[in-house]
Amino acid sequence: MDNNALIRRIIRSKETYMLILPGVIWFVIFAYIPMYGLTLAFKTYKANLGIFGSPWVGLEKFEYVFRDPAFMESVWRTLWINLGRIVFTFPVPILLALLLNELRLQWYKKTVQTIFTFPYFLSWIIVASVLINFLDMQGLVNGVIRLLGGEPINFLGNTTLFRPLLYLTDIWKNAGWTMIIYLAAITSIDTEQYESAQLDGATRLQTMWYITLPGIMNTVVVMLILAAGNIMTAGFDQIFNISNAATAKAGEILDIYIYRITFQSAADFSFSTAVSLFRSVINFVLLLLADRICKMLGSEGLFPPIRRTARKGRAILRAGGA
Amino acid sequence: MSRLAKPIRFALAVLLVLLSVAACAKKSDNEPSGSSSQTPSSSSSSSEQTGGSSSEEGPDGWKPQSDLSKKVKFTYTSVQAIDGYDYTNGDPLAQYYSSKFNYEMDVAALNWDNWNERLRIWINSGDMPDVAVYNYIHADAAAFVEQGLIKRLPDDWKERWPNVAAVYERTTLGPQMEKVFGGTYFLPRARFMDNLPGDPLPNHPSIFIRKDWAEAVGFPIKSAYKTSEIMEFARLVKEKDPGGVGDKLIPIAENTNHAVELFVARNSTYWNTFYKDKDGKYKWGGASEDTLRGLKLFSEAYRSGLLAPDFYTVKNEEHGAYFNVQGIAGATFFQAPTSNLQTYYNDFKNNLGLDPYENIILATVLGEDGYYHQVDLINYWGTIIFSPNIKDEVFERYMDILDYNATREGYIITNMGLKDVDWTYDENGNVVSLFDEEKEGRPLAGTNGKYPSWGYLLGSIILFDDFAFDNPNTDERLRELSKKVYRERTEIATPETFAHIDWDYYTYDSPSKRRAEIDYYTEYANLITQPGDIEENWRKWVESKMPIIQPVLDELNAKFGN
Repeated sequence: MDNNALIRRIIRSKETYMLILPGVIWFVIFAYIPMYGLTLAFKTYKANLGIFGSPWVGLEKFEYVFRDPAFMESVWRTLWINLGRIVFTFPVPILLALLLNELRLQWYKKTVQTIFTFPYFLSWIIVASVLINFLDMQGLVNGVIRLLGGEPINFLGNTTLFRPLLYLTDIWKNAGWTMIIYLAAITSIDTEQYESAQLDGATRLQTMWYITLPGIMNTVVVMLILAAGNIMTAGFDQIFNISNAATAKAGEILDIYIYRITFQSAADFSFSTAVSLFRSVINFVLLLLADRICKMLGSEGLFPPIRRTARKGRAILRAGGA
Repeated sequence: MSRLAKPIRFALAVLLVLLSVAACAKKSDNEPSGSSSQTPSSSSSSSEQTGGSSSEEGPDGWKPQSDLSKKVKFTYTSVQAIDGYDYTNGDPLAQYYSSKFNYEMDVAALNWDNWNERLRIWINSGDMPDVAVYNYIHADAAAFVEQGLIKRLPDDWKERWPNVAAVYERTTLGPQMEKVFGGTYFLPRARFMDNLPGDPLPNHPSIFIRKDWAEAVGFPIKSAYKTSEIMEFARLVKEKDPGGVGDKLIPIAENTNHAVELFVARNSTYWNTFYKDKDGKYKWGGASEDTLRGLKLFSEAYRSGLLAPDFYTVKNEEHGAYFNVQGIAGATFFQAPTSNLQTYYNDFKNNLGLDPYENIILATVLGEDGYYHQVDLINYWGTIIFSPNIKDEVFERYMDILDYNATREGYIITNMGLKDVDWTYDENGNVVSLFDEEKEGRPLAGTNGKYPSWGYLLGSIILFDDFAFDNPNTDERLRELSKKVYRERTEIATPETFAHIDWDYYTYDSPSKRRAEIDYYTEYANLITQPGDIEENWRKWVESKMPIIQPVLDELNAKFGN
């Protein structure tokens, strides 16, 4: 396609392109322009000289990064915590959406959905405060344990319980919100398929397994790829608010490490930018890797081929028109 | 009627303009007259004044350097502030200062948990308030200076604000840093001015023990205890529960920082720093045997339930209240500056209904070798810094406030409240208190006090420790006890266990040293809460830190080692 043809095509579909314009502007202003700050990873930042004026130091900051054993420890810890997050928390909203979709009483369905979604709007500070009040040694849970004659459990200082606590609070806070995405995907499934399945005598479990789940599989794959691409980033707010001195090591993910070296000791913005850049590169590689694996397994991945999508779109339009 | 409307409107407009001009002329006539007049002495209450005067002079001949007739607004941040409190007009003391110095102050309150961190973020992002109280950490401070993130004071500041300069000289840190940075960037707040209780200077945190419980369990009453003796007391309290507290009993109530100070710092002089050993070589305190000894005791106290199982979740020094408000703790290692003791003792009396003088032991904690361990505190706590973007008029005004409060009279006002209201001079010129807490039904300071603004917030370069030794508002028994505690610390020590500051090390700065800044409180608390043998865990921890520690040792030994 030559340039003129591309321009003609854009003009022909100008309404569609106008729709994506705010998104593009947002990305340019808030995602691409600030990228010039990444040069700090190769400079020694001086606030009085600014980012552009600060002197170049090559890879010196990266040498410091790899000299600190806590850095690589935090990289592995981040990977493990967030892999666990994918294994244990990722399927929950899918399951919730599938189950909620089976509810027939609309008022009950909406009530349950509201209850599940509400915690998403609470900040992690609030969630952590509630959690501490519930789980500390004088908290509600230990109070009940004492009443039942048991020994109180130190939930908040136990490194073994720390990760399960992260996953449980993550599910409690976010599963309801993510579920909405899957519920939206379910609404786009052709209802004729359910009617046919009903005529064929399929049970509800079978329709869920053979119709609903495959129907939202593309959404699931996209969400999975995005989660994989976020694997080195997720969890700062949660861990920062829930951890304490006893669980500090168990919770030192890469973002907490960056925060610690930037703000809890003598500040060195160049050093923390170097770590952040390293983290972004790993995230990018993981994103591409997940996308490629999904495509190898037969899914369309994050970026389905344009022609196929266009053809499919035209076919849908024709079918709609007929 | 409509024909008259236009001329009437015109006439009204002319009248309005004339009135405005007349009003402005009257105002500008007043201004110079106000500026040139000799205003009342600085001791008079000026709560009804709308502004000060550029030539305002106190009884000692104190003169401001800024034009006090011009109102200034500034932002300020410090730990110990009351969140949301109006430090400009909230109480008569705040009004006195804001009126005398004609300012409006907007305070951002920080607490003990977020002070260092939040201020560091603000400074580094170029978003710091006009004035801040900064917990001096040299590596950070050097970075701030190097990057121009804080204001350099004008070269003639000592001549312009001589009272501040006199205090500055007493802090030791100020002049030392001036040499290092080639100018003044930090104004350390002196703990002591005339009553320095020792050199090197001991710190104030002390162990508070329930004397009635100690007597009940047969624990000896002394003025200094080894760490293991404190643990023995806690064991007895845990076994016998002399207060009948039950499930809620905490033998030793601490938060993370004070727990580390009680067990590790009291046994290891260099627990959180590098030091030059007898062989002339620099070593790291984290790897010293003394630190291990402290950690072992800490671990034992935690594992045997002498500390609360979740002591590390205690926020904002609430552990002090477990002792003097809730009465569920047998002991607590807690802040004990002389100026705070009265409030702490009063709270004990008001909440527990017991006589604090008969039921509290305030004592020094010694290491297991029987000596007091510490590195010279340096005579300061918190430094005042200014934003590089602060307006000159605001800077000058704040320096005026500091300078005034460094005069004898200003210092008494910051400590005791308003003259002739809360205190006065007797015929011999001695300060006499007019404030009676019992009669008033509330303390002088604090959130529920007469002056919630009372404290360092209103601009102090001398802290309360010095005046507290003579403050008639504090019971004489407490003042004597506090003096004794300070004195004993210097007596029960050797030059090795209570060391002078090593300025070579203190003022040394390098990327490696900055990178080796460790949050020792969290690290040590983390170590002792982990399962397994504490000594083995500590060795692994030391090993894991060596990649960032060794470069600093190499640098220090190359530069200053023998």
